[in-house]
Amino acid sequence: MNPAALLETAALMGLLVLAGGGYGGLYGAGRLWSRPALVRAGQACWLLAFAIALLIAVRTPLDVGWKLLILASALVYAVIPPATWRFLQRLHGDEESRP
Amino acid sequence: MSVDTMPAAEPLYRSQRLALRYFTAAIALFGVMIVFGLLSAAYYLFPSMLFNTLNFNTSKIMHIDVLVIWLLMAFVGAVYWYLPKELGREMAGIRAAEITFWVFCVAVALVAATFLLVQYGSASEFTLWFINQGRKYVEAPRWAAIGIVAILLVFSWNVVGTCVKARRMTGIMWVMVLDLIPLVVVYLDAFPADTNMSTDLYWWWWLVHMWVESTWEVLIGCIMALVLMDVMGTSRRIVEAWLYIEVMLVLGAGILGLGHHYFWIGTPQYWLAIGGFFSALEPLPLLGMVVHAVYDAGMHRLKTNNQPAFYWITAEALGNFIGAGIWGFMMTLPQINLFSHGTQWTVSHGHFAFYGAYVCGVIAVMYVARQRVTGVPMLAGRTWRWGFGLLNLGMVGMVMALLLAGMAQAFYGRAIGGSTLMAFTTASENLWFKSGMYARMLFGVVFAAGYVALVYDLLRSPRRAPAIAAAPEPA
Repeated sequence: MNPAALLETAALMGLLVLAGGGYGGLYGAGRLWSRPALVRAGQACWLLAFAIALLIAVRTPLDVGWKLLILASALVYAVIPPATWRFLQRLHGDEESRP
Repeated sequence: MSVDTMPAAEPLYRSQRLALRYFTAAIALFGVMIVFGLLSAAYYLFPSMLFNTLNFNTSKIMHIDVLVIWLLMAFVGAVYWYLPKELGREMAGIRAAEITFWVFCVAVALVAATFLLVQYGSASEFTLWFINQGRKYVEAPRWAAIGIVAILLVFSWNVVGTCVKARRMTGIMWVMVLDLIPLVVVYLDAFPADTNMSTDLYWWWWLVHMWVESTWEVLIGCIMALVLMDVMGTSRRIVEAWLYIEVMLVLGAGILGLGHHYFWIGTPQYWLAIGGFFSALEPLPLLGMVVHAVYDAGMHRLKTNNQPAFYWITAEALGNFIGAGIWGFMMTLPQINLFSHGTQWTVSHGHFAFYGAYVCGVIAVMYVARQRVTGVPMLAGRTWRWGFGLLNLGMVGMVMALLLAGMAQAFYGRAIGGSTLMAFTTASENLWFKSGMYARMLFGVVFAAGYVALVYDLLRSPRRAPAIAAAPEPA
């Protein structure tokens, strides 16, 4: 890995998780306050995260295995906020319906 | 009992009074840690400062070891605070716990005095036993390490004994009791027994990663579960469900995530794949935690009777995501870690992750205790915001500065310079690195100001304000 690629790869990795966090935060806020625009902004963050993962796959000198792992992670990111939200709603819903 | 109906003069359990002593000691040591942090930062700007009087390594030992001790004291205090509330009776072995507290304080003072006044000894058994064990994070001499084991055993007896005497076990207490096993056993790695450097480091990382990271993470998870029920009125069933998920994640990804410490210490090559793979999985649960934090904050519409505790809990969720998730992921793969490990980049990650995962959580517990002791129905006001704002601003500024400096080291000293001594020196003279060190010092002072504001707010008499209408009802 050359010096420039080191910084570029590290920055892309950090931005990937940051974009994922942006997705989680905005998606959650959008669902909470029933604001579709925020949910869409969150989804845009996920698209950004996936684009960053693609950039990592295309531009960085990581081995193929690591690139596949990062792409798979980015795909899993798409599922986590909606799945977590549903789980939380079910958990709280069950709790409220208990006598 | 909800906090808005809490009488001011309701007596505390003895274990809760002991918890207050632990919190006091912890917050005092937090200050000591900051003083030596600032001093350590100053050495980077003035390398010959206090040469041969108090060298950099001693200051750094104080900074790091005090960090471990003050957090440990805060955890013990938090458990002592909540144990009677959770199990409905006074803590078992309270007298032993009270004695242990003073033993702990005296031992910490003696070890600190040894570090500052004696500093180092010859390469002998005497040095290991009475001066310094020479292992990062656990430099305390062997007698003190034995003392910590004894303290942890008493602490374990307090927890288990109270459960037995109360004839009651909750899900949170089951997790805590099981966590006591690694809390005591893994700490035994603090005693060096191997002269082979690789083998020694192999086990030493168990202490740092498994004890300080995994075991503590489960312990703070239990504490935060109790805090969430207390401050936000979250139901027991919900916090226990999340606690079980956290334990599964710690067991699933956290334990083998240890592998990212095994990249460059002489362990077999397969650790590169194991460590990289499991470390790459670690941001995934943190993303779920971000969603959960938004959900909880929103569901309570940011209303609570203890604003400082609530904000510190939220800061913990976000700080953990950024510090451990983003900062950790940047440098966790072996190809990048080859260049970044041991630079200020790692220091940046360490500061942010510790702060997010632990410091914010224990400050939240201290505010819970403060509300209970003062008996105010609504803990709000402006003063706590200064502590909250300055500490967070100081920490974010420090980690950004350290990141800048660390990237300069990795870029110039490692990737371009090839990790030679000359390259290290050149990187240390680089403008980016030096700017980062100055900025770190500046934000360190901001952090220290935040600490002063925090202590002032914790000590002053709160103004009474009316409780909000929808006070949380603990489950």
